[in-house]
Amino acid sequence: MSWRKIFAQGATVLALGLLDALGIWAFSSLLLRGEYWMAAGLSVALGLINWIYLSKRTYPLKYLIPGLLFLTLFVLYPVGYNIYIAFTNYGTGHILSKEQAIAQFESKFYLPPDTETFRYSVFQREGGTEFVFLFYPEDGPVLFARKGEVTPVDPGDQDFLDEDSDGVIDGVQGYRRLALPELVRNLSTLQAMAFPLGEKILRMTSLQEFSAYEHRYRYDPEADALVDLLSGTVYRPVEGFFTSPEGEILLPGFTIVVGWRNFFALVTNPQISGPFFRVFAWTFAYAFFSVLLTFALGLFLAYHLNNPYLRLRRAYRMLLIVPYAIPAFISVLMWRGFFNTEVGVFNQILYSLFGVKIPWLQDPFWAKVALLLNNLWLGFPYMMIISLGALQSIPEELHEAAQIDGASAWQRFWRITFPLLLVSLAPLLIGSFAFNFNNFTNIYLLTEGRPPIPGALTPAGSTDILISYTYRLAFEGQRGNQYGLASAVSILIFLIIGTISWINFRFTRALEEVSENV
Amino acid sequence: MRNFGIAVLSILVLGMLGLASEPGKLIVWCDETRAPALTEAAQKFTAAYGVPVEVVEVPFGDIRGNLAVTAPTGEGPDIIIGPHDWIGELIFNGLLEPIFLPAALLAQFDPASLEAFSWAGELYGLPYATECVALVYNKDLVPEPPATFEELIEIAKALTEPEKGQYGFLIQQPDPYHTFPLHSAYGGYVFGSTPEGTLNPCDIGLDSEGSVKGARLLDRLVKGGILFAGADYQTVTGLFNEGLLAMFIGGPWTLPGIHAAGINYGVAKIPLIEGNTPRPFTGVQGFMVSAFSENKILANLFLKDFLATKEVMLAIYERGQRPPAYLPALAELADNPDIQAFAASAADGIPMPKIPEMASVWGAWSDALELIVSQKLGPEEAMRNAAEQIRTLLGCK
Repeated sequence: MSWRKIFAQGATVLALGLLDALGIWAFSSLLLRGEYWMAAGLSVALGLINWIYLSKRTYPLKYLIPGLLFLTLFVLYPVGYNIYIAFTNYGTGHILSKEQAIAQFESKFYLPPDTETFRYSVFQREGGTEFVFLFYPEDGPVLFARKGEVTPVDPGDQDFLDEDSDGVIDGVQGYRRLALPELVRNLSTLQAMAFPLGEKILRMTSLQEFSAYEHRYRYDPEADALVDLLSGTVYRPVEGFFTSPEGEILLPGFTIVVGWRNFFALVTNPQISGPFFRVFAWTFAYAFFSVLLTFALGLFLAYHLNNPYLRLRRAYRMLLIVPYAIPAFISVLMWRGFFNTEVGVFNQILYSLFGVKIPWLQDPFWAKVALLLNNLWLGFPYMMIISLGALQSIPEELHEAAQIDGASAWQRFWRITFPLLLVSLAPLLIGSFAFNFNNFTNIYLLTEGRPPIPGALTPAGSTDILISYTYRLAFEGQRGNQYGLASAVSILIFLIIGTISWINFRFTRALEEVSENV
Repeated sequence: MRNFGIAVLSILVLGMLGLASEPGKLIVWCDETRAPALTEAAQKFTAAYGVPVEVVEVPFGDIRGNLAVTAPTGEGPDIIIGPHDWIGELIFNGLLEPIFLPAALLAQFDPASLEAFSWAGELYGLPYATECVALVYNKDLVPEPPATFEELIEIAKALTEPEKGQYGFLIQQPDPYHTFPLHSAYGGYVFGSTPEGTLNPCDIGLDSEGSVKGARLLDRLVKGGILFAGADYQTVTGLFNEGLLAMFIGGPWTLPGIHAAGINYGVAKIPLIEGNTPRPFTGVQGFMVSAFSENKILANLFLKDFLATKEVMLAIYERGQRPPAYLPALAELADNPDIQAFAASAADGIPMPKIPEMASVWGAWSDALELIVSQKLGPEEAMRNAAEQIRTLLGCK
């Protein structure tokens, strides 16, 4: 065995060992938290990885498995989770699981009106960790509390001490009193301690006091109902809230599965379905014209920059890539300023030259023009780069042959260059279309979907595309966030884009035949 | 989806750093402005009790969303900072725990700020600052602030010369928050009250007589050539900082920019509108305790003894320039005219509604203002439309 091989195998074992150590740690902490499904998934994945890297038969998988794992983790799992959320009412008021909500209700206590409060001292066993308490009632004997039991102290008991000899017990044999800083350091442990006192529960109220509390709610798993022990009201789960017979709800609510309701809402709720087709048409137009305009300009520039006789070609290319290099977040906000009706640079130029002021972001038509212009600026360098690459891959002989046959420059471009370009660029154009179909950033930063439509009963603006409209529906409508509805709409958008892309790819297959015939 | 992505990322990152709520250690989420003052207080707490306190900087806009995602999984913080109008949604989601302060300490806070953080009779936050808008003016252009709105309009008309890029008075548009004083002066409101004194989400007052009158005043400002469409925050503050704008309605957060630009400015209450007081929205910033914290009493102790002090409150003020809600700190700033002017404006204010239904109001209301300012719709119709939109959204028909 060569050194190289030994080194490679050693490295594999070492890396696997580290991974396993990490995995076992994660596995145990998941188990401790009660995340059994996650723990099971993790152990299966871990076992699979070990098998693949240690067995000889699985050689090819070694190269695939990292990619597949990341695909599962960052694509399949979020997609699956998104689909699950679409069938729930997850959103404001319904964030917690039912168990979490019940746990929160059951941990609620109330102080009965005539409750007792106690000053206290806390002690820790010498050299140990156990905490014990002495409680001082207003009258009556001092109480001693340890491990969930409370007993009155007999003043004659040798286990208790009266350190300052004032007739009140203030020490415990074998235990040491906690000073304030130490008490505070252990406050969270002490806060969680509770001692039964008859029907009531002694709990810490503040740094100085313990009080006798009573449970406010009790959950009855048989009846699936929450009982308010103070008023006797029975709350039953309705639509993700514990609800009294009178319809009063308890906060917080919890997440429930609502079936197809979010999807039905897309069709039956006029709020959502009303502006849908208008928004859809503009989304389509926006994506289409964005691709068309950026591609036209990008190809035009690339075609001319490809001319070997052009001087300073490299400098031009570099300059033209600048818009691509500036983050869209910054340049869109700058363009928003440029488009300002009064103080924006475009209108100042137009006004001094022609005496007109265009209501760029106030008029539906001009707002759409502004969006396309802005997107043209952001998008053409990408198109130019891919066109430059594609142009260079077209064999020069084809042009020469055509020239000899007497084809004009125009004919050579449209009959030879362009079809061949499309063969390699069409998938990228489809990708660009899908990207712009969901180009939330551009819309949200430049127009926020505005201007509004006069008299509309839904808050959908003239320049809202599907994704920004979804955002409005889910996060700016009603009360807070409606993740369930948002997930349902995003699935719908996925279906639309999927269909369009599928049709487009069928179309490009036709193009490929062109290249086969060349 | 973007928020969700960020939330997932932060879970991963925070999870890896082990910044989860755990017994015996406090975790505070705050934005970068507040962090230095809190870190100092945290160090004192650690020195006194040996309890570690971790101050984690989280972008302000992400605090609420990240809390909703991380807290139920046990990964969240013990204490967050945020404005009072978050508490409705956070309580709906079961994410907040009431806090308990001794009466003597409560008496040291501006009562309106405590009211803002109260829900169903319980206090959910320790307030540190109140904020609201007022009239900010350029003393070189307007030596004395106008006493009435009519006077303001006169001055603004005289100073507005768009050809020279000079403007007299602007309110950023379309922006309900900055426009609300016009509506409220005439008695306009957003949500009416129930007999129990809580807000009634189905009594929507955007098309009430007062709100419509305020919208008419806005329309008059546009028709008079004073206001223009597209005057957003950047435009308004940019013009003022270049000395090209005489007056605008703005909050304390505009002051650092104005100081840097070296403008000779003053702050005054928004002038009376037909003899009525314009009432801005007040927002109160404060510290809240997570319902999923395992250190609730510890968190209370930290808030009560280490944050509610003059030094910490003044240190927070230094960074954000918002009037402190803690009265001893406010008294310390008695000779600061800006703070006193904003505090006076806040004294007339109306707390921003904290019920979660407010989320549906901003969009429709902004749209109405936009349509008025761009002269696409009359004020009556625009406001009626907005109110109808909200009623439909909330199912109040």
